Amino acid sequence: MKYILPKHELNALLERWSAEYAVLAPQKAGAYSEFLPFTAPSELCLEEPHNTRYPPKALFFPQSEAILKYKQNLGQLESIEAVPQKRVIFGIRPCDAKAVTLLDTVFAEGDNQDPFWLARRAETLLIGLGCNEPGATCFCTSTESGPFHTDGLDALLTDLGGEYLIELLSERAVGLFGGLTPANPTQQESVQNLQQAAEQALPKAFELDGLKDKLDRVFDQDVWAQLSESCLGCGICTFLCPTCFCFDLVDEAQRDTRVRNWDTCMFRVYSLEASAHNPRPTRKERTRQRLMHKYSYWWEHAGKLGCTGCGRCVRYCPVGLDIRAMLRKASAYESEALHAN
Amino acid sequence: MPTNPSPRNPYQPTPMRVLRAYYESTDRSLKTLELSFENHADSQAFFKKFNPGQFCQLSVFGKGESPLGVASAAWEGDFVRFTIQRMGSVTKALHDLKPGDPLGMRGPLGNGFPLADWKGKNLVIIGGGCAFSTLYALTKHVQHPQNRPDFGQLVVIYGARSSGLCMYKHDIQSWYQRDDMEVHQAIDVPEETWDHHVGYVPDVVKQIAPSPDNAVAIVCGPPIMTKFTLPALVSLGFPPETIFTSLEKRMKCGIGKCGRCNIGSKYICKDGPVFSLAELNALPADI
Repeated sequence: MKYILPKHELNALLERWSAEYAVLAPQKAGAYSEFLPFTAPSELCLEEPHNTRYPPKALFFPQSEAILKYKQNLGQLESIEAVPQKRVIFGIRPCDAKAVTLLDTVFAEGDNQDPFWLARRAETLLIGLGCNEPGATCFCTSTESGPFHTDGLDALLTDLGGEYLIELLSERAVGLFGGLTPANPTQQESVQNLQQAAEQALPKAFELDGLKDKLDRVFDQDVWAQLSESCLGCGICTFLCPTCFCFDLVDEAQRDTRVRNWDTCMFRVYSLEASAHNPRPTRKERTRQRLMHKYSYWWEHAGKLGCTGCGRCVRYCPVGLDIRAMLRKASAYESEALHAN
Repeated sequence: MPTNPSPRNPYQPTPMRVLRAYYESTDRSLKTLELSFENHADSQAFFKKFNPGQFCQLSVFGKGESPLGVASAAWEGDFVRFTIQRMGSVTKALHDLKPGDPLGMRGPLGNGFPLADWKGKNLVIIGGGCAFSTLYALTKHVQHPQNRPDFGQLVVIYGARSSGLCMYKHDIQSWYQRDDMEVHQAIDVPEETWDHHVGYVPDVVKQIAPSPDNAVAIVCGPPIMTKFTLPALVSLGFPPETIFTSLEKRMKCGIGKCGRCNIGSKYICKDGPVFSLAELNALPADI
């Protein structure tokens, strides 16, 4: 069922939710936007044609998080309990919501599920905002996602100018919204047209069909050296990536705390072993790992593609490396160089 | 949407205490720690899961964690043995521990050796350097009178750079008296009092030429040794499905979450550390 929410009623709704939930929404944060506790409608950034710079994965998997307290000399341990908190994340883009479901395959499935992730997931609702005009760096339609996809969402909002059309996708969302006016056929039709137009506006970034096999075949080829030539190894592509999950465990001795911090396969020390051997000694191997993890390995360990086409790695790369072009080049290399003979 | 109620914190170590600590090598680069459990329930949980070839994350609080292979068999007693090469800050801190000192342990982690699949087979155990520790656990396991009938012939080939670096000396010396196994020890260069093999492990393997008939070979050693021993076994007629090795990579979580130790889509911590050569051949060359 689809409903209508006039935009001037949004503030009252967010305030009503705030009585029961911690409400997080994209708000101004310096020169960018970021998911922050909702303060005032004037701070909201819902009209931007792109997602927040800082990925909302941080709301479930913080950049730095204490996982253990200990008493160094006594060897005493104190577990840190993961406490569920009722939250509404409002205005998350479909690419980022889908990314959360991809991270579920890492933290919430199989053996050794992560209690910190589970606690934050359990009582958090994701209210999505579709993208009427996807940005120039967006490529969700090439990665099995889309500007109005609903994976991971409890509800999806479509901006109709003066109002939002709301698609309720879970029981929890029905309780959250409640008492809305159903959308009339004209409104429903204009949403359909708008959604189609947005999907069609996005050009195909690369051919996903067969891409995994092509990447597997060029694993030991020189193409990776070419693709990584201008990379600085700063790691921003992975820190801002909504599906990157690598972390480090570090003892902060002064606080008697063991901490989990985001880490990146783009750093040399990431894979450096105690013997000084490094399986990924140069940016060539590290770039290969980043791309192959998302576009090959993820298929194998989760049966899904590990990229949602959010475009952050393209938008914020300091040297303008574009994963879309890198994948096209690797693919072309496979077609040309490997089949030349 | 996951709805599982809060599970146990998998990053929380089990409290342990140093029971015994002694140097394994004359240069003091290798030290063995035998750890006892602070809580009986933890001991029961450990031995319920433990299989030779598995590893643990040892914690020195304030320094961090280090992944180390278990060097003892379950029947040896209510303790867990590790032989630790002093390399960085955590292993240095582990070397500094004295009997009675507390530390943390997470594990057993990883798959361990596929002992059920090896039932009735002859075992050719080939180790080099401190990587022999998990093979020592395997040998001890097989030697137990209850387990010995499960396996055929037992051949152990163990090489070290010098006699001073040979681990578990007294025990291995006693293996020469056993009539249910064959032992070959090697060092890289000749020493006056050394009356065993001299040479690199791959060459010693070629010289001894263990039979591939109804056999599995298990190889653990430094990468350079493994690199040359695997093809030596293949040329002796061992099919890749019967050659096993244990891999190492830098690790943090040990449970397939932190992303660090992957080779292709496999995580060494979770899907390994033990792989057959056939499995390795199917993975990208990222080690």
